Amino acid sequence: MIRYLLGRIPSILLVIFLASIVAFILPRLAPGDPAVVMAGPDPTPEQVEAVREAAGFNRPLIEQYLSWVLGLFRGDLGVSFILNRPIGELILSRVESTLQLAGLAAVFMILLGFALGILGGSRLRRGSRLALDMFNTAMLATPPFLVALVLILVFGIWLRILPVSGEVGLSENFGLGLQYLLLPAAALALTQAAVVGRLLQTSMLTTRGEEFIDLAVAKGASPARVTFRHVLPASLDAAIVSIGLRIGELLSGAIIIEAIFARNGLGQLAVQAVNNRDYFLIQTLVIGAVVIAVLSQLISEVVMASLDPRIRLES
Amino acid sequence: MADTPSFAANRRPRVKNPVLRRYLTAFRTARGIAGSVILLVLVALALLAPVLYPGGYDVQSAESLRGPSLAHPFGTDQLGRDLLTRSLFGLRIDLTIVAVAVPLGMVVGTTLGLIGALSRVAGTVLQRVLDVIIGFPGIVLGMCIILIMGPGWSALVIAITVSSLPTFGRLSRAAMLSQAQREYVMAARTLGVSRVTIITRHILPNAIDPILVAGAVFVVHAIFIEAGLSIIGLGIQPPEPSLGSLLNQGMRYITQAPTYVLGPTVVLFLLALSFSLISDSLNKAVNRA
Repeated sequence: MIRYLLGRIPSILLVIFLASIVAFILPRLAPGDPAVVMAGPDPTPEQVEAVREAAGFNRPLIEQYLSWVLGLFRGDLGVSFILNRPIGELILSRVESTLQLAGLAAVFMILLGFALGILGGSRLRRGSRLALDMFNTAMLATPPFLVALVLILVFGIWLRILPVSGEVGLSENFGLGLQYLLLPAAALALTQAAVVGRLLQTSMLTTRGEEFIDLAVAKGASPARVTFRHVLPASLDAAIVSIGLRIGELLSGAIIIEAIFARNGLGQLAVQAVNNRDYFLIQTLVIGAVVIAVLSQLISEVVMASLDPRIRLES
Repeated sequence: MADTPSFAANRRPRVKNPVLRRYLTAFRTARGIAGSVILLVLVALALLAPVLYPGGYDVQSAESLRGPSLAHPFGTDQLGRDLLTRSLFGLRIDLTIVAVAVPLGMVVGTTLGLIGALSRVAGTVLQRVLDVIIGFPGIVLGMCIILIMGPGWSALVIAITVSSLPTFGRLSRAAMLSQAQREYVMAARTLGVSRVTIITRHILPNAIDPILVAGAVFVVHAIFIEAGLSIIGLGIQPPEPSLGSLLNQGMRYITQAPTYVLGPTVVLFLLALSFSLISDSLNKAVNRA
């Protein structure tokens, strides 16, 4: 296991390193002088020069890059010159909202994905199979923002049972916070749950054709025991890898979902940063998103390797 | 009139090119027909929009935020503009974005993949570059590109093209590497045919199927990337409409005028549906042959 991990580390570090260069270079390719943008409206040349000095834009690019990256390692994320606050503080003030959204969405995704997958991977009557396939296909083809619109129209406007805009922190008022969280989390999770479900269904149906399942049936195991004790464990790997990949998608989906439901999370901070051309904030948020996406993929690979000895042996 | 299979088999095929004929069979299935009919209607409406509505998409009136009526089937927006008109002009913009971005991504991605298959070094470099692109989750990449170029049509096109590169680059490289082992390639090489000719004349036509299917699938992604970026306000800027930016505007009035978002949503859905039906039947036709 440890050797498997060590083998994956160089390529992951390389991806993160290259992504950090991209995140650093991209904002600097944008037209216009960042110091002028940061100095605020109608700056005097002296003010611009002072900002340039403070932000370090007059130093060589390599030096700027190194000081940014070394700062990240020390836990110093830099200062947003537009919002005039340390970036670490900005992220901390928003992270709770996004974590609650992505966390509940991940729970929905895993529960619903497994339910859909196990149902689809079992023996079904034709009618139920058709209904399940249609639901799955429709969900796969519907991006989170369309699900969000439908949920808002049905539960917020027509039935008027759930709020559609704004948020309340779970730590302040759990019940009310959950009401505000349900629709956005469901919107974010449904598409991804269909992906997980489809993968699990396919591998469960494949597993059912294997001889050891025939053996389990022949020795008289009940259908439920065959499904949960024999078919499911042998079919988990594809679904678990896809969950790891989906975490990155959940985070980027959260950007759109937060905009639709007027939630003040990291996604809104990122959109604001792009609109304001807030260089330091953007580069830090982008590299953060990449690191989280890559790490969640790695974790799912580790889980899969610990479930399936064949993968460990191959590496 | 019954066009039984045996008759169809005896009939001399009208289209001689076997590759084209295979693709055309895709449009004989129910899904293929439904998808292409929806798409044709949408394209026709988009093309006719300036004729149907010579005033353009920015004709304002005092009737703001009305629900659907005979005069305004999709209702009106906050400035009293007809939403059907704006949806059709938005559809026009979406179609031009997709029509430029996806073929561009296919050509660039496939070329990169082929170059990557030619030499080991280029292959490794390409693999790393594509890994980095994939490392950027979802629309974060698009946000970075919009940051450089400023929001608008060309930024959306580039954002969609760049995010399509991993799909096409990996597919073409894989197809290329598997075809390179086949006997016909060895035969061509023994005959002294140059590498470039082998690739463009012999391998590419045999490797193009999965790339075309992936292209049709990616159109749906492209439509959703446009909509996603526009919903967060980084896409087409007002007063110009796109399907995504209409949703962005409509979201703000969703409690006062819930029907605002319905029209653009339906058009967006039909557009995505038509391409997923077409890609489905294309996929089946290609795999059957």
